[in-house]
Amino acid sequence: MSDSRSRTERELRTAAYLLILGLAIEAITLQWAHPTSFVVFLTIGAVLVLAGMAVYLFAIVRH
Amino acid sequence: MANYAVVTLIALSVLLVALLLRRPSLTAIQGGKILAFVAFFVLPVIATALGASIHLENSTSTQFCLSCHVMQKHGASLYIDDPTYVPAAHFQNNRIPKDHACYTCHTDYTMFGDVNAKMRGLRHLYVYYLATPPAKLALYEPFKNRECLHCHDGARSYEETTPHKEMKEQLSSNDMSCLTCHVKIHDVANIEKMKKWKGPGL
Repeated sequence: MSDSRSRTERELRTAAYLLILGLAIEAITLQWAHPTSFVVFLTIGAVLVLAGMAVYLFAIVRH
Repeated sequence: MANYAVVTLIALSVLLVALLLRRPSLTAIQGGKILAFVAFFVLPVIATALGASIHLENSTSTQFCLSCHVMQKHGASLYIDDPTYVPAAHFQNNRIPKDHACYTCHTDYTMFGDVNAKMRGLRHLYVYYLATPPAKLALYEPFKNRECLHCHDGARSYEETTPHKEMKEQLSSNDMSCLTCHVKIHDVANIEKMKKWKGPGL
């Protein structure tokens, strides 16, 4: 039981780090109207956010 | 303004995620679970969707198009000091919005025109970053009269001009291109030699 809880907490922590990093990158890219910022938003920011959400959903569904 | 709203939403989302990261015990209670769902899922989805929408809107700006090195001569051609050059005359006389100059003429005025334009934009990004842009840029297909007539059709300056009146049917059906007569377009090959208008920069 405690193993399962610590695993869930670990997954939530991973999801949180991915989301914070992804959202921070998204916020930074919004400062410029430039193809590079669009590419970084799409390929790094949005991908990290999606990964964070996926880890979170996986954690709550498994729990 | 929209940028600030999305950045504020992102900041709120980050704060909530950081709070739950620091106090994971909050998720043990019902309210904490709801808060976690909002912070880990709802807000990031909204923030990412709005952010993508802002980036797509930004991608229609003249500044965005001309930020690629290969487009700079096309940008310079908007300042040619000669009213017979079609893009320059449109740009300098506010016939098109200066901050969306490229997009206004080069999007498709059809139901999925915006989507097609975005798809072409993604292809441009691929070529610019991962392949080699061609030495001479060209349109994927001949420029359609539809894009000109989107604004000019019904306008007195178009309808009452003799050559237009005589060829209206051919022009409307795209059997004869507007560019048959209006031949002076960007002409980037000779751009260095041309006199430029010293108007406001972008």
